Amino acid sequence: MPAPIYLDHAATTPVRPEVLEAMQPFFGPRFGNPSSTHRWGREARTALDAARERVAKCLGANADEVCFTSGGTEGDNIAILGGWRVLKPKGRNAIVTSPIEHKAVLQSVHQATKEGAEERFIAVDSTGTVQLQSADALIRDDTAICTVMWINNEIGTIQPIEELAALAKSRGAIFHTDAVQAFGKVEIDARKTPFDFLAISGHKIGAPKGIGAMYIRRNTPLEPLFFGGSQDRGRRPGTENVAYAVALATAAELTLAEHERESARLTALRERLETAILAKLPDAIVHGRGAKRAPHVLSISVPGTDSESMLMALDLQGIACSGGSACQSGSVGASHVLDSLDLSAEIANAAIRMSLGSLTTDACIDRVAEVFPALALKARGLASVG
Amino acid sequence: MSGGVDSSVAAAMLVREGYDVIGATMKLHSDGAEVPDKPCCSLDSVNDARRIAERIGIPHYVLNLEKSFTRDVLDDFVSEYARGRTPIPCVRCNTFTKFRDLIQKADTVDAEFVATGHYARVMNGELNRGTDDAKDQTYFLWGIERSAISRMLLPVGDMTKPQVRVLAHELGLNLVAEKPESQEICFVPEGNYAKILTEHLGADAPSLSPGPIVTSDGTVVGEHLGFAHYTIGQRRGVPGGYDEPMFVTEIRANDRTVVIGPREELMGRGVIARGLNWLVDPAPRVGDHVGVRVRHRAPIVPAEIVRIERDEIELALDAPVRAIAPGQSLVLYDGDRVLGGGFIEASRRARAPLPMATI
Repeated sequence: MPAPIYLDHAATTPVRPEVLEAMQPFFGPRFGNPSSTHRWGREARTALDAARERVAKCLGANADEVCFTSGGTEGDNIAILGGWRVLKPKGRNAIVTSPIEHKAVLQSVHQATKEGAEERFIAVDSTGTVQLQSADALIRDDTAICTVMWINNEIGTIQPIEELAALAKSRGAIFHTDAVQAFGKVEIDARKTPFDFLAISGHKIGAPKGIGAMYIRRNTPLEPLFFGGSQDRGRRPGTENVAYAVALATAAELTLAEHERESARLTALRERLETAILAKLPDAIVHGRGAKRAPHVLSISVPGTDSESMLMALDLQGIACSGGSACQSGSVGASHVLDSLDLSAEIANAAIRMSLGSLTTDACIDRVAEVFPALALKARGLASVG
Repeated sequence: MSGGVDSSVAAAMLVREGYDVIGATMKLHSDGAEVPDKPCCSLDSVNDARRIAERIGIPHYVLNLEKSFTRDVLDDFVSEYARGRTPIPCVRCNTFTKFRDLIQKADTVDAEFVATGHYARVMNGELNRGTDDAKDQTYFLWGIERSAISRMLLPVGDMTKPQVRVLAHELGLNLVAEKPESQEICFVPEGNYAKILTEHLGADAPSLSPGPIVTSDGTVVGEHLGFAHYTIGQRRGVPGGYDEPMFVTEIRANDRTVVIGPREELMGRGVIARGLNWLVDPAPRVGDHVGVRVRHRAPIVPAEIVRIERDEIELALDAPVRAIAPGQSLVLYDGDRVLGGGFIEASRRARAPLPMATI
């Protein structure tokens, strides 16, 4: 079999060699606890502070506005629950979100609802973009927080964060955005876009799994979810993961340095793949087509196929993609994102997400453009299990 | 691959024999949340299957067949109980889920065979009983399409369960080698099927509402809290105080009545089944002498086919058989060969009249 092809960068990415090298010393000689006052501690503290500043710079933020987390899920949890719990007693009980959010956001919102919050969902158009008119009607002076992702992880649509953040601001609500897929794909600058909270994840950009960061705009009310020491200004107690913080800072800088070139490269590859597949499968449906889309995601449904069988067949050909959201057991469930796009169940259940990134080459795209349509045409010839 | 010892050993044996094996675990139900400690289809079982696949070096996939399983198996299970019958969901799961849907999945990846850990054998293109008499699972397999037999690989079918466990250790599958057997129906946690019925039918469904318990002469001797809690042959929940033990002998859904009687009233000499499926060609005919099984693990008894009309068959049993329950399977055997079967519709206390001689 030819070399396997990884087309699932939206799921995770390999740790970059530069990142691995940068974090290495903190597992060995520079192992200190940043809270200690002795020389080992000071050394670790210095590295942590520097990492925080570097991440802050990548977000257009001040260092004190950056909090390290375990990843995107934790950032979303802290932002939504931590923000809502402070504002609830002040007469702001509503949370406004979209139906196409990542589960980390949706489940955090549901948790708040269990605790008494009112959840409201902004309408999404058929391309998978939230509608500002709907947001305008839902974000009111009873709203604690509005949370909308910057780039959708399943279909790659870019959401109007600028406008949404401004809207939330004008109603006195906190605005949070899950920017896990957005970092390195669109410009993120806290000085230009008025978001209050923002969550990013390390392993999507070449850092290890288990590290992320949260942007917390100065003077934004926030209640912590963890209790303990005073680390990270008490917003996230627990001994800091210095090695991973350094890794995140390194990965973030590298990603931003390559942002323009890489985005152009991935966009061209994605377009080529999309065009090639549509040429062979003219009735295939590209989700998010016509909307502003991130360069690295291609979500496509071929009528008459089902994503479970396609993923299995692709994997057996050495091509790694993903379907809807994977549930804990590893089975492919119906995607709540596609479900909210006004698609037939048949089309929603056929979706395959290919996400491009550092491992994607011209040769990869050529092979997938060859194999994918062939497998889809074959699958279509067989009755599907419903 | 359920994550149990039988399917794990089956997969490992095929790998050893040089087959190109793809592991699959079917996710069939979820109970809303993913329950971690159920014997089958739970998160832990899927993880075990995945680890075994990793161990023997094959890819592993979880196939979500929840929708079709609900339609083909679960809904029928519920409606059968609502009709006062005793359903046998494993038959429909084998018929529709494992040896139809899974074969379709196999087609999409060009897999020639579907292998399972069933205790049954394919010999000369026909389905046969497993070697281990105590484990034979052909009682649940009679409903499959005949054409599926040529696609089946049943590697553990000619072993006994203890042999399978020994082989599991030899193959390095210690993780599952001593796993306890799952006796209950996979989608019924802790055997509490009443809970499932309540969820699907509502607590006020006729099958879950009180009704009379009567003896065969019609005397009302008590009240029950829903006939769905009863099965033919059951003693639990039956009023006592009689000279001999009393059993459920009949469930009448139309007037919500549970009939009880002594052991002799539980014995049947004839059985009628519908939904016939034949696994041999030519199919059996009236007058043929066959072996029949009317319940899992019940002895196979000699019988004679006295009537076959369209989709219905009637057999006269050479000796009385206990607790013939509508909804269970009737499976016909010729020695170890599985001829086919149907779902039991009714039993007869008396031996059915012999067929008229036809020339």
